[in-house]
Amino acid sequence: METKSMKQHMGIRAANTISNTIIHVLLIIISVIWLIPFVCIVLQSLRVESTWQVGYIIPQKWGLDNYRNLLNTNFPKWYLNTLITALVTAALQTIIVLCMSYTLSRFRFKLRKPLMKFMLILGLFPGMLTMIILYRVLKDLGLTQANAVPGLILVYIASSGMGYYVSKGFFDTIPKSLDEAARIDGATRAQVLVKIILPLAGSIVIYTLLTAFMGPWGDYVFASYISFGNSSGMNVAVGMYNWLTPDQINNNYTMFCAGGVVVAIPVVILFMCLQKYYVEGVTGGAVKG
Amino acid sequence: MASVKLTNVKKIYDNNVVAVHDFNLDIKDKEFVVFVGPSGCGKSTTLRMVAGLEEISEGTVEIDGQVVNDLQPKDRNIAMVFQNYALYPHMTVYDNIAFSLRLQKLPEDVIYSKVTNAAEILGITDYLMRKPRALSGGQRQRVAIGRAMVRDSKVFLMDEPLSNLDAKLRNQMRAEIILLRQKLNTTFIYVTHDQTEAMTLGDRIVIMKDGFIQQVGTPAEVFETPTNLFVAEFIGAPKMNIVHTQLVKENGKYFVTPCGAKIEVTGEKGELLAEKNIAAGEVLLGVRPEHMLLAFEPKADAMAARLEVNEMMGSELHLHVYTEDGARWIVRVPTIDLTAEQRKSLVNGAQLYITFEGKVMHFFDPKTEKNLLY
Repeated sequence: METKSMKQHMGIRAANTISNTIIHVLLIIISVIWLIPFVCIVLQSLRVESTWQVGYIIPQKWGLDNYRNLLNTNFPKWYLNTLITALVTAALQTIIVLCMSYTLSRFRFKLRKPLMKFMLILGLFPGMLTMIILYRVLKDLGLTQANAVPGLILVYIASSGMGYYVSKGFFDTIPKSLDEAARIDGATRAQVLVKIILPLAGSIVIYTLLTAFMGPWGDYVFASYISFGNSSGMNVAVGMYNWLTPDQINNNYTMFCAGGVVVAIPVVILFMCLQKYYVEGVTGGAVKG
Repeated sequence: MASVKLTNVKKIYDNNVVAVHDFNLDIKDKEFVVFVGPSGCGKSTTLRMVAGLEEISEGTVEIDGQVVNDLQPKDRNIAMVFQNYALYPHMTVYDNIAFSLRLQKLPEDVIYSKVTNAAEILGITDYLMRKPRALSGGQRQRVAIGRAMVRDSKVFLMDEPLSNLDAKLRNQMRAEIILLRQKLNTTFIYVTHDQTEAMTLGDRIVIMKDGFIQQVGTPAEVFETPTNLFVAEFIGAPKMNIVHTQLVKENGKYFVTPCGAKIEVTGEKGELLAEKNIAAGEVLLGVRPEHMLLAFEPKADAMAARLEVNEMMGSELHLHVYTEDGARWIVRVPTIDLTAEQRKSLVNGAQLYITFEGKVMHFFDPKTEKNLLY
C-alpha cells in the first residue's frame, strides 16, 4: 500500500520535473531570440574596422570610435531635444493624468459618465488623424522646425487627460473612507490627493511617469513632421533616421548603432531603478483585513 | 462641546431615492445620542450629513447654533470614527494620530504630547511606531479613536465603530467607549445596527426605519413604551412576542384571549386601556420573552404549547414554542429556576404551558401598528 503511494508520488514528481524543464528551455530560447538584435547592435557599435553593414556579428577590431564620432555630429543637440521633451512631457502628463483620474474616481458630477464615454470614443481614433491640422496650428504659433521642442511638448500633453483608465482603476480600489477620514481631519481635496492617495499609489505614479516618458522618447512620426527637415529641432529618432538614407548609410551605419545604444541607456536605467515599485502593495491594513 | 440641531433634514439621491425623510432632532451639549436601525434605514446617511460627507438635500444642520450645510467637513470641527477604521496605511500609528494636528500646523512638541497622551488613554503606546497592517482589529479601532480624540472637536461621530470586531472584543470596546465618553465629555453621535450597543451607550436613542424616525427616547422609554410595533420588535433580545388576539371588555375590565386562554390586563396597562376607552376587538398583543411564564402542568389562563427549539444560552434558556393556533412564542427562562429534571424534559415536541402576567402586555393597532396606549 505504502510503496504504491510512494511510487505514485515519485511519478508525479518526475512529471513535474519534466514539464518544468520543457518550460524553462522554451523560455530560454524565447529570451535568446529576444536579445539577439540588442546584442548585435551593441557589437556593431563597437566595430571600428569599417562603418558599413557587414556579413558578420563579432567585430574584428574593437573600439569606441563610433561613440566619439557621435559628438562631432548634431547628435548631442538631438539627444538634448529628446530629453527635454520627454522629461517635461512626463512631468506634466503625470500631473494631468493623476488629477484627472482622481477627479473621475472620487467626484460625482452630472457629466462624469458622458465625459468618460466621450473620451473613450475619442481615444479610438488614431492620433495621426490630427497630424495636418496640428501642423498648421503649430506653424501659425511658430512652434515648428527650430522651435519644435515646445511644439512637441504641447502635442504630447494635449490629450494626456484621456489616459486616465489605469490610474482611475487603481484609485477606485483605495477605500473612499480614507479620503473622508482625511477630509474630516482637516485636509483639502488637494491635500488628500498628495498626502494620502499618491503615497498609496506609488506604483501607479511611477507607471504613469514611465509611460509618459517613453512616448516622446521613442516617437518618430510627430517629431519628424513638426521638426520638418530642420536639424536643430529634431529628436534622436528623426535625426538618426537621416543617417540611414542610401547615400549615407555606408558612412554612418556603425555610428547609428552607437547612437541607438546611447538612446537605450536612460530607459534601461529607469526601468532597473523603478522596477521594484511596480510590485509594492502598500494598501494592506488600510481597512479591515 | 456643542449642541447639534437637525431641522427637516432630507436626503434625496440622484436616482430620486429618498434615504432620509424630514429628520428633526435636537442634540444637547455633551449628550450621547445613538442612531439605530436595520441596514438601509438612513442612519449612516444622516450621520454623514452631519459630518459633511454627504450633501444635505433639504433642511438645515446646525452645530453650536451655526448652520453648517455649506461648510466643508474640515471646517465643521468634528471628529469621526469609521466602521472600517480608515487608517492611513502608509503612515505609522503616531503619524496617523498626528495627521490632523500637522495639518493644523501645530508645533511638533505640542503634537507629541497630544499623541502620547491619547495613546496612553487608549493603551496603544507600544504600537506608536507600527504601521496599521501590523495591528489587530481592536488595536486598529483604538488608533482610529485616538485619531479622532486628539482633535478636541465639538462633536464626536462614530459610524458603526464596533461592527468589524468579534463579539468578545466588541463587549470590551463598548465598555471602553463609555469610559472614553466620561473622559472626553463631549457631544457624541453614534450609529449602530446593534440594539444592545444602542441601549448600553446612549443617553437617547433614535430608532430609524426606511428613512423615518420611529421613536426618540431614553433606553428605558423605548424599551418600556415603544411607540409602534417596529420599535417594540427591534429593541430587546430575543425580540418581543407578537400575536393577533381579541381584546375583550367585561364589566369595565379588559381581557386578552390568545389561543383559548383568558388573561386579565392589570396594573398601569389596564388603567390606561380604560382611561383611553379603547374599544374591544382585534389587537396585536406584545409580550417580551422575559415576561413569559413557563409551566410543566396545565394551569388556568395558560396556553398549551409544544417546544420547537431549545437554545441554551448558559444563564438562561430561550425556548421557541408554538401554540395550537400556530402562533410562535419565545420564552426566556433563567436556567437556575428549573430543576435538573425539568431541564432534561425540555426536548423537541415536549408539552409545555405558557402564560404571562397581566401587567406586562403591549397593545398595537393591527392596521397602523401604532401602540394603542402611548
